[in-house]
Amino acid sequence: MNRRGGLATAAMVLPATVLYTVMLIVPVGLAIYLSLTDWDGYSADPAFVGGENYGEVFADPQFQQAAFVTLLAALAGTVAMNLLGLGFAVLVSRTSRVNSALRMVLFYPHVLSALVVGFLWGAILGTNGAINSFLTSRGAEVLPFLSDPDWATVTLIAVLVWAGFGVNTVLYVAGLQTVPQSLLEAARIDGASKWQTFRHVTLPAIAPVVTVNLVLSLITLLKTYDLVVSLTAGGPAGQTQTLAYLILWNSFHDGRLGFGSAQSVVLMVVTAALALIVTKLRRKADQGAAA
Amino acid sequence: MRPARTRGGRHVVPVVLGALLSISLTACGGGFADEGGEGGDTGSIRLLVNITPNLTQDFWEDLVAPFEQANPGVDVVIEAPSGKGVSDTLQQQLAAGDPPDVVETLMADPALAPQLVDLSGEDWVKDTPLVEQAALDGKVYTVGVGEQAQSLVFYNKDAFAEAGVTELPSTLDGMTEAMGKLKAAGYLPLQTAGDFVTGLQLLQLTDPALAADHENWHQDVRDGKTTVGESMLPYLTLYRSWIDQGFIEKNALGLKYPDAETAFLTGKSAMFIMGSWFTATEAKADKDFEVGVFPAPVAAGQDSPGAQGATMAAPYMVMKATEHRNLATRLVEWLVTDEKAVAAQLAQDGNFRTGVEREFTPLEQDVQKILDEAPGKVAQGEGYGDSTLPRGFGAAWNTEVQGLYIGHTPEAVAQAVDSWVSSHS
Amino acid sequence: MRELATESSVLTVDTAPPAPVLAPPPADTPATARPRPGSPPRRVLRWALIAVVAIVMLTPLYLLVLNAFKDQQDILASPFGFSGGLTVDHLVQAWSNPRFNIAKGYAITILFVVLVNVFSVFLAGPVAYVIARSTRRRFRVLMLFFLAGTFIPSQVLVIPVVYVLKTLGLMGTIPGYVMFETTLTLPFSIFLYAGYIRTVPTDIDQAAAIDGCGRYRTFWQIVFPLMRPVVATMVILNTFSVWNDFVNPQTILGPSSGLYTVTTGIYAAVGQYQTDYTVVFPTLLLAIAPLLVFFVIMQRHIISGLTAGSTKG
Repeated sequence: MNRRGGLATAAMVLPATVLYTVMLIVPVGLAIYLSLTDWDGYSADPAFVGGENYGEVFADPQFQQAAFVTLLAALAGTVAMNLLGLGFAVLVSRTSRVNSALRMVLFYPHVLSALVVGFLWGAILGTNGAINSFLTSRGAEVLPFLSDPDWATVTLIAVLVWAGFGVNTVLYVAGLQTVPQSLLEAARIDGASKWQTFRHVTLPAIAPVVTVNLVLSLITLLKTYDLVVSLTAGGPAGQTQTLAYLILWNSFHDGRLGFGSAQSVVLMVVTAALALIVTKLRRKADQGAAA
Repeated sequence: MRPARTRGGRHVVPVVLGALLSISLTACGGGFADEGGEGGDTGSIRLLVNITPNLTQDFWEDLVAPFEQANPGVDVVIEAPSGKGVSDTLQQQLAAGDPPDVVETLMADPALAPQLVDLSGEDWVKDTPLVEQAALDGKVYTVGVGEQAQSLVFYNKDAFAEAGVTELPSTLDGMTEAMGKLKAAGYLPLQTAGDFVTGLQLLQLTDPALAADHENWHQDVRDGKTTVGESMLPYLTLYRSWIDQGFIEKNALGLKYPDAETAFLTGKSAMFIMGSWFTATEAKADKDFEVGVFPAPVAAGQDSPGAQGATMAAPYMVMKATEHRNLATRLVEWLVTDEKAVAAQLAQDGNFRTGVEREFTPLEQDVQKILDEAPGKVAQGEGYGDSTLPRGFGAAWNTEVQGLYIGHTPEAVAQAVDSWVSSHS
Repeated sequence: MRELATESSVLTVDTAPPAPVLAPPPADTPATARPRPGSPPRRVLRWALIAVVAIVMLTPLYLLVLNAFKDQQDILASPFGFSGGLTVDHLVQAWSNPRFNIAKGYAITILFVVLVNVFSVFLAGPVAYVIARSTRRRFRVLMLFFLAGTFIPSQVLVIPVVYVLKTLGLMGTIPGYVMFETTLTLPFSIFLYAGYIRTVPTDIDQAAAIDGCGRYRTFWQIVFPLMRPVVATMVILNTFSVWNDFVNPQTILGPSSGLYTVTTGIYAAVGQYQTDYTVVFPTLLLAIAPLLVFFVIMQRHIISGLTAGSTKG
């Protein structure tokens, strides 16, 4: 490579690399550094406290609860979004007017943003919301969608799934359309049932799409924040706080930036670890598809 | 890894990264308690305020308009919180190095004090309400417009009459008894809610009883003479028993503050524990019954009425980083001393100030009487002045008290609160 | 959607080019050769399922539209129907809310969407090209370096980013916000672009080089025009993520900049008044209506564009 070529390459690589480093890598380093201090966010003398924050993080009952809710939402939500996504993809994969309208109906919540979705469902499921107003006007008991911790957790996950599985559906539809016609034809001639064809031909063929969807759902759900703000505000009794919500609360409401940063680092590690585990587990299936 | 090749470019990334990291880390350690400047007679003053159903953005704009007219070239910019509230927003702004000039609603605490202008030298601060109680180490950082009475129980007079409650409860046992009668008469005895209301109401209710046992409860907690959990346990137990007996709605956590106000004002519930600002809401509401008020009861054997929980109404602080210290200070002086400005703020949010006459509703007259008759006034929540609990106590307490609704035992709640306080001290 | 980049693909970076994740959808012929809906009971079942899911998905929208025209009492008394008259008063009020000028929110958000998309393409395209065309280890490492960014939840990152932007003097400014949002789009854009460019034959580059084109010009004039599908996909993804972002504009723009996006505006207008349904429904309706209309008109392009670009990558 001559000097001019080297310069051109540098001009192509450096802007993105520098920006990425300054805006993403440096902040990650900063978060790690801050997690070792007791900084409140503005005072002049943050003290270095070593791993103390991390010890406190794991002993903190609020963190334990938030970690439980976050993991539950991520795992249950991932399973639900992908089962529904794949199921409806099969249902609407044929190109037709009805099907394309249906895809739109399934996908539209993604256009609304999680914040709007939360406010909207809050107005529907709240104690004075549409459903409970309807029930009480018929003399029935109020359903504690958002006022009982178990209900509220399930409600939160259900709304996450409602708002998100349309994206999975669209991706699965695209995946299904790549399955070679000849394979399906062959399976049919061999007398395979529909389920057998799906299980042994379609599913292996779209394995990489499944992996993409699983990891996508998982990463998105692990950082659930906006919906908590607008739907439950972490309540009742702080039982539906997610990790992202708790981190920002600790950092900005309680002024414990160091403590919050330690939680951030934990969340980053958990996210990366879970994504890697899923990929490892799916690796065999993916390779089967490529072969 | 393959053997390193000898091209200089390889090391660019780590070097740049290291340099940038060190720049930003230095920036962090450098501290942000910027000293601003005194500033001239003109400019724009940013005022971060609390926005509530009573205190709307329009109210604030109108409030400061006369000040702007009297001071040509001065523009007071009302800033509404972008976060959950004033506290979060100020914290974010401080972190961003972009604090407002004046902050309303918060009280100075030791963590915040280095960011605030010391107003002790100003003559006019001496006559503002609760100014001594709110001082830190004898220094005045926060000045307010009036006082909010906190420990009030509003009640539906029709409901009390219907249930045959003829004497207003002066003890907590008496209150429990009244609740039984109210429930039998078909009312929800006590209106509660989720949101921030749950913990606030229990604090308001217990101020008088706590004050009888601890002259300065906050200080005793700080000194380790008692813990929050230990001193609150009897009342947590009482509250839990109210939930179990159906005196409090078990689904109340699904309600927000305005829902609770509406439920009480539409006659669904018989009692509502709230601060004096509720009188302003009451004055505006259409309703077909009369609202009365009595001071939060005391525990058995204590003198009644007990001390009244009292907080500073519309407290203001001037941020040290302001470029217009003189102007900002003058704005605060005007807000807490100008007769019309004070009266407008008191009326808008149902607050009181000795010596300031304004037109009272009958309910406000009752509250004024309770304030006059109270044997003392005590701090509430995180407290103020030198004896404060860690920042965020109010929210943490609220969360734990809500646990009573979802099956946590009073003992577990008390323990959780104590462990929060000790880990945040 | 930003996180669409997946570890599965990370692992294939070393064995370029990665296996196609999604292949091109054939134009007309349905590839999943499902026989036309079979026996009558099956058909009934299918339609019943479709009806149920349509109801579950659309009821919130129905409630939103209907209740935006009603009084609070009316909403509480009969949320699913009418008991009183309809009114546009609350919509008018929501429109003239001083805390949330919806037109201004739209204008600012559209500006952000445009800027982030332009900068994202401008920055990610060239570096993806270099990575795709190089066999050097250092560029494979660079790819991994960028991909690591997909695992970092931006909600968590925003706190330290505040200090970086503050150091640069860019807190509460449009450039600061656009820089951060653009950065968040880089990892996946680079990944997707690089995968796509690998499917473009290198002969084209060589021919250009013979014609005397430098590397930079080769990319922009020869290769980039071939990348339309993948750029379209990224633009759609980035548009969603910028449009829907809440915590980043909330934190970085703050209250003093006077700048708000549609989401932070909605939060300011609705957050404190969640119990007043005459604020909630009209504000939400006004805030999402233009976007929904746009989505319905463009849905075919949006949904197919979303997947088309990943066909080869």
